Amino acid sequence: MRDPPCDNALRAIREGTIGRAFTAMESQWYGQNGAVPSTVPSTREEVDLDQNVDTTADSPWVVIVWNDPINLMSYVTLVLRKLFGYSLEKATQLMLDVHHKGRAVVSSGPRERAELDVYRLHEHGLWATMQKDGHGK
Amino acid sequence: MRRRASGPFQLQADGSYRINLPPDVRELMNHLFGELRDVLTQADTSDPALRRLFPAAYHDDPERDAEYQDLMRSELVASRLTAISRVTEVIGDGDRLEPGDMDLLLQSLNAVRLLLGTMLDVSEDDETDAEADDPDDPVAAQAHLYSYLGWLLETAVAAAMAAVPDGGNPPKAR
Repeated sequence: MRDPPCDNALRAIREGTIGRAFTAMESQWYGQNGAVPSTVPSTREEVDLDQNVDTTADSPWVVIVWNDPINLMSYVTLVLRKLFGYSLEKATQLMLDVHHKGRAVVSSGPRERAELDVYRLHEHGLWATMQKDGHGK
Repeated sequence: MRRRASGPFQLQADGSYRINLPPDVRELMNHLFGELRDVLTQADTSDPALRRLFPAAYHDDPERDAEYQDLMRSELVASRLTAISRVTEVIGDGDRLEPGDMDLLLQSLNAVRLLLGTMLDVSEDDETDAEADDPDDPVAAQAHLYSYLGWLLETAVAAAMAAVPDGGNPPKAR
């Protein structure tokens, strides 16, 4: 059940190569930013999306997933199925659109809805953005 | 990808997953989840190295994006930390993933891979050069790790995909 690359990956961990790499990144960050900023809120804020309601709410928003070289195609398909309830066929087609055309519209709706969709896609590590339908295309 | 009857994650009849991972792989995963947690708690989330973990929401409207990030970024960090905390516990000594745990595992594994891929500057046409096997070359070691994580994630995705009904999940209330 062991996949061959694992031995090398484990060796990298044991020899501290990965740790050193992360540490190097961190010192770079600290160097840039001075004090270490705390990004963790002490309490989870209640997010009130209503204060953001768009005054031209009639025009729908579209949520776009962009192609990226890191996310696995199978993973993108799975996330689209799980988040939006798409069939395997539909999710696969959207994933292929992302892959070949560079992007695909995966959902649309009012602004608050689109923001939530973007948030859930970001949670899963997909490169998602939103824009007014028909703009910036 | 490989398909074996005994993969690392086996979907059970009750919808949970049996974890079939040796201790050293669990150790590797939890080490990486620990690194990810440290990065999320200690680094500036607007750092370019973290751009794939925290993309813009409004790519053509910086002002609106700033508003969005003010509201949502801390939420996203907190969500990732909660996921890491849960999967670290289960991978540490558990033999079973609940369906919700699997989603958190996928998110966390993928986040580690995004971070590492960004470090390695993986591009679309890259085959990560896992053959260049110089033990003193940290980049080669990271490429090995990146490729191993891809395999591990692929097996987890296959297990999770098998649990989604053919028509997809019923859409959440929209």
